[in-house]
Amino acid sequence: MLQGYDLGEYYDEMFEAPGVARPHYRKVMDGVGKLAPVEFEDRRQLADLAFLLQGITFTVYSDGRGTERLFPFDLIPRVLPRSQWDKLEAGLSQRVLALNLFLEDVYGAQRILKDKQIPRSLVLSCKHFQREMIGVKVARNIYTHISGIDLVRDSKTDEFLVLEDNCRTPSGISYVLENRLVMTRTFAKVFETCEVMPIDHYPMELINILRSLAPRGTSNPVVVLLTPGIYNSAYFEHSFLAQQMGIELVEGRDLVVDNEIVYMKTIRGLTRVDVIYRRIDDEFIDPLSFRRDSLLGVSGLMGAFRAGNVALANAIGNGVADDKAIYAYVPTFIKYYLGQDPILRNVDTYLCSKEDQLKYVLENLDKLVVKAVGESGGYGMLIGPAATKEKIEDFRAKLIEDPRNYIAQPVIGLSRCPAYDPRTGKMAGRHVDLRPYCLFNGEKVIIVPGGLTRVALEPGSLVVNSSQGGGSKDTWVLRGET
Amino acid sequence: MPVPERMLSRIAESLFWMARYMERAEDTARILDVNYHMLLEQSQQTYRLRWEPLVNISGEQERFFQLFTLATTETVFQFLGFHEENPNSIAQCIYRARENARTIRDRISREMWQDINSLYHMVSRFRAEEEIAVGPHRFCSTIKFGSHRFHGVSDDTLPHDEGWQFLQLGRALERAEMTARIVDVEYHNLVESLMPDEKPDNHQWMAVLKSVAAYEIYRRQYHSHIDPERVAELLILHPQHPRSIRFNVATIQTSLRAITGSAPGYYINEAERLIGKLHQSLMYDRIEEIFERGLHNFLTDLQKTCREIGYQIARTYFYY
Repeated sequence: MLQGYDLGEYYDEMFEAPGVARPHYRKVMDGVGKLAPVEFEDRRQLADLAFLLQGITFTVYSDGRGTERLFPFDLIPRVLPRSQWDKLEAGLSQRVLALNLFLEDVYGAQRILKDKQIPRSLVLSCKHFQREMIGVKVARNIYTHISGIDLVRDSKTDEFLVLEDNCRTPSGISYVLENRLVMTRTFAKVFETCEVMPIDHYPMELINILRSLAPRGTSNPVVVLLTPGIYNSAYFEHSFLAQQMGIELVEGRDLVVDNEIVYMKTIRGLTRVDVIYRRIDDEFIDPLSFRRDSLLGVSGLMGAFRAGNVALANAIGNGVADDKAIYAYVPTFIKYYLGQDPILRNVDTYLCSKEDQLKYVLENLDKLVVKAVGESGGYGMLIGPAATKEKIEDFRAKLIEDPRNYIAQPVIGLSRCPAYDPRTGKMAGRHVDLRPYCLFNGEKVIIVPGGLTRVALEPGSLVVNSSQGGGSKDTWVLRGET
Repeated sequence: MPVPERMLSRIAESLFWMARYMERAEDTARILDVNYHMLLEQSQQTYRLRWEPLVNISGEQERFFQLFTLATTETVFQFLGFHEENPNSIAQCIYRARENARTIRDRISREMWQDINSLYHMVSRFRAEEEIAVGPHRFCSTIKFGSHRFHGVSDDTLPHDEGWQFLQLGRALERAEMTARIVDVEYHNLVESLMPDEKPDNHQWMAVLKSVAAYEIYRRQYHSHIDPERVAELLILHPQHPRSIRFNVATIQTSLRAITGSAPGYYINEAERLIGKLHQSLMYDRIEEIFERGLHNFLTDLQKTCREIGYQIARTYFYY
């Protein structure tokens, strides 16, 4: 399958030279790389069928009825040797601790603003900064119970960089767990020889954290997962996690708030709810506090949260920490709150809110990636070298009009990994990123080894988001170096 | 033993409707399949006459004639099997059953979800034109066995707790109503509309029995030629036939009791009172008495009571 594979000019995750697999990829090379195309195709179809029958799909609503698409899954795993992972784990832990301290500070004493480590106006002008959160005491001082930190490997230096932080309601962990399940079934033998670190404890770690947040001194708190419903593109993940954690999956209409206490409607009347793992965005969670037209949320939920009668994970207002302009200051947070040097570097970032930096960005639009600060999912983005003249001019106008809303970064040559191209029936190098899922229990950060490797399946594309034609791979962290 | 959890109202409702839609799909498939094969042996004249009652059984006459002018094999199969504008077409029922399953997939077993999901994908792959060309049997037996498997898988993989009782309620309520409609429509069609010198058609009554899987039991029980009154007796009053009205009314009563914990002879809500009353009359009525009072009125009242029970279940457990 891998004969004639072209390494290209990027860092290749699998090969160090044409035909020579990196040491940590040798067993995969022996097991998967040497399959005949027919055999490979068989397994690929089996894997696809497994995803379809289990309904591991996301929904695209363009025809009224909703089309379900498979999130494309590529069978070549993304492999990391232990030493690389250990460094990532240390760097991610440090970062998550700092982000949590920043949130606690910014909605509390605001020391960092007083010490002028970050411009006050930059923080307060964040679209996702929630004034309602100032002075709210959250359970065990945890804000970012779950965060997904996007990493990319820069082909220039072979080094992992942090591309963005997701501290609101990051999704994708269900794909990590299901990809692994399908992989162990499809390539049981290879898997066995590779000694891959397990990941299936994620739901248990998460439920432990959620249970620890219960405000009442009860030994058996009621924890629920709040979903926008089956029309949400991540609905599969919501029901999957609820099932794995053995908690109730609820929609807004299942909950009522009475006298600042949250209840769910059961066939035997109302039952009190202690902890909500919410997968609804801030804006929609409580029509009384935020968007009035929200039909998804629960009226009065914010009041119950402020009163400390219910815990929410993640906390409200976390968007201020993953704003793309704030991102530039995360290394500062690490120094300021932890007194440490950042283990993982950021991608160089130009803040368009600063006049000199805006000037540079406007002069170099064709070389840079421009991103809207509050967006995610690959939306609101300009990739300069690949963009048309019209699109560049369109962004120029936007930047001049609302500079605070944009940042720019140099184009990073994302590393590549072989992926199957169904059009040619061959393996080809495709750009990948990595999103590990970090859990914070108030004392330490727990990360299941690996995470979601997303792959841009279009030739040459740097955009890995599922809404933009991306797929995923199973990520293997080896117990050792090979 | 741990204290049983309290079930969310929405989940109970989804279980109830999932079973109802699945049953509706199966019943419709049975009626379609059996009638098609029976009609193959009829003269062209009766052939035409006989398709319309099928639409009537589904209760969708009005919608049908908005879409088609004539009830023929093709139009009726198209309408009852696939049509997207018929909310009760088989394909739509399977789609809805699966949507309900999707909203509670964390609460049903993995096996159950995979089963209903693969049935849905199988049904979506059927093409109306192709199936109409080969006749309804292939399509209908997929549905029939899909539904049987659904119940087998749920019985064997779900705990038989309250949620399971709501599944039973949905299925039994749908089936009782459907059998009532079949008897009502067919009796009118095959007996009451006969000319004075005409005799009821044995083949058509056999089809009615087959459509509710009651042909063999009829043969064993009555050893006689097919007498419409006996058919009605079997379908309404038989205590053990799983598609008779009485059997399903008994199931509804048992499931409601399992949920409420009421002792026999007692009730704590309106649904329970109504079902108790209905079951009582079905236990002690004779078919002759029902005919004396008028079969059509009896069946109309019965369907009304079923709808009221459905409404009361919703009011008590889903939307209080």
